[in-house]
Amino acid sequence: MNDYKKMNYYEVLEVPVNASFFEIRHAYKEALSVYGEDSLSTYSLFSEAERETLLKKIEEAFQTLMDEKKRSDYNNQLVKNGEADPDDLFRDYNKNSIPIFLAHNAVDKNSFFKKVKKKVGESSIQKLSREILETELIAGQDLKKLRQAIGIELEDIFEVARISISILKAIENDDFQNLPSLIYLRNFLKLYAEILHLDPEKVADSYIINISLLQK
Amino acid sequence: MSCIYPIGGGKGGIGKSFIAANLGVLLAKQGNQVVLVDLDLGGANLHTFTGMTNVKTGMEAFLDKSVKNLKEVVVPTNIHNLSIISSVNCSMEIANLSAAQKNKVINALVKLPYEYVLLDLGAGTNYNTLDFFLSSYEGIIALTPEPTSVENAFKFIKALYFRKVKQVLGQNDFKLYSQQVEMNSNALEVTSQVIDTVLEKDPEKGEILLQELQKFKFKFIINQFRKTVGTKLGEKIEKVCNKHFYSEFQFLGNVCYDERVHDSIFSKNIFVNKYSYSVSAIDLSHIVIKLQGNRESSSPHTLGRYERL
Ligand SMILES: Nc1ncnc2c1ncn2[C@@H]1O[C@H](COP(=O)(O)OP(=O)(O)OP(=O)(O)O)[C@@H](O)[C@H]1O
Ligand SMILES: [Mg+2]
Repeated sequence: MNDYKKMNYYEVLEVPVNASFFEIRHAYKEALSVYGEDSLSTYSLFSEAERETLLKKIEEAFQTLMDEKKRSDYNNQLVKNGEADPDDLFRDYNKNSIPIFLAHNAVDKNSFFKKVKKKVGESSIQKLSREILETELIAGQDLKKLRQAIGIELEDIFEVARISISILKAIENDDFQNLPSLIYLRNFLKLYAEILHLDPEKVADSYIINISLLQK
Repeated sequence: MSCIYPIGGGKGGIGKSFIAANLGVLLAKQGNQVVLVDLDLGGANLHTFTGMTNVKTGMEAFLDKSVKNLKEVVVPTNIHNLSIISSVNCSMEIANLSAAQKNKVINALVKLPYEYVLLDLGAGTNYNTLDFFLSSYEGIIALTPEPTSVENAFKFIKALYFRKVKQVLGQNDFKLYSQQVEMNSNALEVTSQVIDTVLEKDPEKGEILLQELQKFKFKFIINQFRKTVGTKLGEKIEKVCNKHFYSEFQFLGNVCYDERVHDSIFSKNIFVNKYSYSVSAIDLSHIVIKLQGNRESSSPHTLGRYERL
């Protein structure tokens, strides 16, 4: 009824304009569970075509708002169209404290660290960590694999270490063109490694050697 | 001034009468003057839920004009502060009320000197049922967590909107606008298209229509709830309705499935009395608290009060 085609991405996901990445991912998952094909809560409410349009819009919203660059362009557009108040938008959306790990009951960093610690204690994770540390060269995908095995989202790392998502992505993809300068990179790698309970120095050294080899 | 809560929801057998009776008992136990009104004229059984077997008088006496005032057909139940207007003695012919009779009933309902008036409606979406439901801004829609029931609830909302749109626009205009809409089976699309068309062709009337729809604060209850269903179903439906319809929707809560509901009806016991510590009874009492919370915080026009249609 109310025309969702006219809704902006924030309205579609029902998040405030200064929502954090956590909130956005959470809202996205929520939206999928409501508008998905097998959702009881919208059973028979939409035609197939309508549902498809809705899901597409939700996807668009998510892809745009999760990407710093796209989001900032989009925000500028909203301000230009008078749809958003610049004061709200530019109030740093990163600084809000937000649920970590997306668990409803885990709302602070402590519980995040506790959760990670517990998970890292599991034998399968320990095995994976050992394998990574034993290799000469550590690639981005090794870190990514471990991160995902532990169940950490990029937004979690962003939240506790303040490393931007795009840099984290560049690190994980060995995308040296988008990596920051060496001194920053070292720092970021150490922070990242610490979260994964890996030896920070070892990770930073091995990663940087690997990258320099790739660059050639 | 009384608070009128119609209880409807399209589908049969989902627990409308069970909810009406038991909410009535809980409200009465708090010391409120409550009257239950059985408006399922063709299938009246509300008295049974209150443990009554024979009812001396009821709606039939008001409809056949043997009494003038609806107040006179109110009968006390075994529960202190709880009365009932039964329709068990209504004949089949009476069940199909004329428009004049229906309006007479609605006008009389508003004047009933009780704090709470709970209307138990029949299944389906015939005009009488819809108009009884629309006699208050705070109708309660009952559903169960099954696709068929969810579908019926959405259909019921659509039918309410259609009915309301028709009332606001008048017969002629309604015909005019609905002709331009492609009638298909989807509740949401059809309703929104009619409203959109009005907004486009006659913005002033469209605005009035929107204002009228915005006055409604529909509520809904998920009955026969089972743990296997996601507990967030109600919240999700609430969110979706608020986002896609023009009125306000409030989820009042789940009421768990309990086999003893059936037993209590058989043994002529009132469920919330006999099994007052069951999960389902506690669910119902939470719903009462939520309803009363609304009452305290809402502005005058949103109290479940009747306004002329
Ligand atoms: N929470 C519940 N747990 C278990 N059984 C229930 C529950 N609610 C209702 N029932 C059962 O469902 C049956 C139908 O309930 P009820 O008569 O209240 O439905 P209704 O919506 O009023 O039906 P109708 O449309 O025929 O008037 C009852 O006989 C009762 O046994
Ligand atoms: Mg009934």
